[in-house]
Amino acid sequence: MKMRKFLFRALTVALLVAIGAVMMVIGRGHTMYFDNKKLEYNGETYDALRRINVSVNGEQVAKLSAKDRGMATFTGGSLTFDLEVIREKGAESEFYTYTLGVPYGQDGTVVNLIGLLEELPEEAWKSEFVPVATVEEDDEEIITDEFDLTGEGMGE
Amino acid sequence: MKSANKSASKKALNFLGANSVPIMFILIIAICIPVSGFSTTFLLNEIVTRLCRNAFLILSLLIPIMAGMGLNFGMTLGAMAGEIALIFVTDWQIWGIPGVVLAMILSIPLSIGLGVLCGKILNAAKGREMITSYIISFFMNGLFQLVVLYLMGPVIPIIHNNIKLPRGYGVRNSVDLTRIRKCLDNLLAVNIAGVRIPVLTLLIIVAMCLVIVWFRRTKLGQDMRAVGQDMDVARDAGINVERTRIISIVISTVLAGFGMVIYLQNMGDMATYSSHSQIGMFCIAALLVGGASVDKASIGNVFLGVILFHTLFILAPSAGAKITGNEVIGEYFRVFVSYGVITVALVMYETKKRRAKATLGQQLEMAQQEEGK
Repeated sequence: MKMRKFLFRALTVALLVAIGAVMMVIGRGHTMYFDNKKLEYNGETYDALRRINVSVNGEQVAKLSAKDRGMATFTGGSLTFDLEVIREKGAESEFYTYTLGVPYGQDGTVVNLIGLLEELPEEAWKSEFVPVATVEEDDEEIITDEFDLTGEGMGE
Repeated sequence: MKSANKSASKKALNFLGANSVPIMFILIIAICIPVSGFSTTFLLNEIVTRLCRNAFLILSLLIPIMAGMGLNFGMTLGAMAGEIALIFVTDWQIWGIPGVVLAMILSIPLSIGLGVLCGKILNAAKGREMITSYIISFFMNGLFQLVVLYLMGPVIPIIHNNIKLPRGYGVRNSVDLTRIRKCLDNLLAVNIAGVRIPVLTLLIIVAMCLVIVWFRRTKLGQDMRAVGQDMDVARDAGINVERTRIISIVISTVLAGFGMVIYLQNMGDMATYSSHSQIGMFCIAALLVGGASVDKASIGNVFLGVILFHTLFILAPSAGAKITGNEVIGEYFRVFVSYGVITVALVMYETKKRRAKATLGQQLEMAQQEEGK
């Protein structure tokens, strides 16, 4: 009986850990930044294109002119997106679909679409997004108000 | 005929006496609705939102009442566990429903630990469970502040600067939960005549109600009811009273943790140091407004209570502003009402208990006198 109880408990814990692990993978949020900016690689310069429209699941998330940056948020390890590219004024639209993976620990990834379209090595067009360091703010005053009478606990 | 009338009026009086609090609230609300000037659609939307936000938390109070431990002010401990879990989930950037599920899972071990501790302390303070659990929640709030304010960062890793205080350790006053905001409420939501119904959240609440109904019929549920009725008799019947009481508090704490996650996903923002502090008080007030007492509460009381209590919360500021010309008076009124309801319920419970004791004493005395004759 004790063995059965122990097994039941162990299985419950294992199941919860497994569900938690799955949630950590499928729910991990990332931001992908799309750049339509001039790229220099191996001494060569690749110019920005006239217009790139980025769509995810059929919904347009960015409309990029030259030098623009757009972004899309997603969960899971990879993002599939569609590109509508207009290389120069009056040119016809070209359509591409890409699926890019991102490392688990990376919150934001910058993708230079010019490098991607030119099929350059990954290191040329993919990098980690590093937020700009902000000026150190003054420390916040901590409000613990356990004797609050304003009805805050009700979520007003 | 006369005796039939008498018994009917006695029944009506008994009904009024037993349901005086909900009836009083219904009357106040009936006066406030036309005064407030709110449209029916607005009012219904607000009530449905608040019902989905709070019902799960209030359901967590039912099991300790069943086990005779009164109103569990210690549910705050579960709320703290839910908050800590949400801080981690936000820092680890787990978004949407996976984030909510993970927060619930993470809150379980914390809630169990805190629940066992609370249950053991309450076992040592039998008969004074409510005041003890109330004080435990204050004590744990101090510990919560120590962990969240000083240990998160240097000891417990927190990666993101938008969660940490500018000094480099401790969590900010407010944690942004935008990434999980209303993810349960929006999934499967339907719009009926302008009223948004969060179907998934309601299904979760209904499932919890069914679990409680099922639980009451299990061996453990029966044991809890026996312990709630008379601990000595339950002990004589071979029930491990102390263990059963601890389990009831653990279940309540775990459910409160889940409830807090549901509550905060609806809010989309967490006031780190104050979200949990009043939650127990307001949930208990809502349950009492629904007609529950310290020793008896049902699922019906939860729903009636949350609807009445929160309807008053929605109406009071506006009605207060229209009647007195000052919105703040409406705010004070609703705070006064929530604390007042708890006080009245506690006084009524104690009076009833004393009366029952006195009646029992009289019966015993009469039986002894008869035996003497």
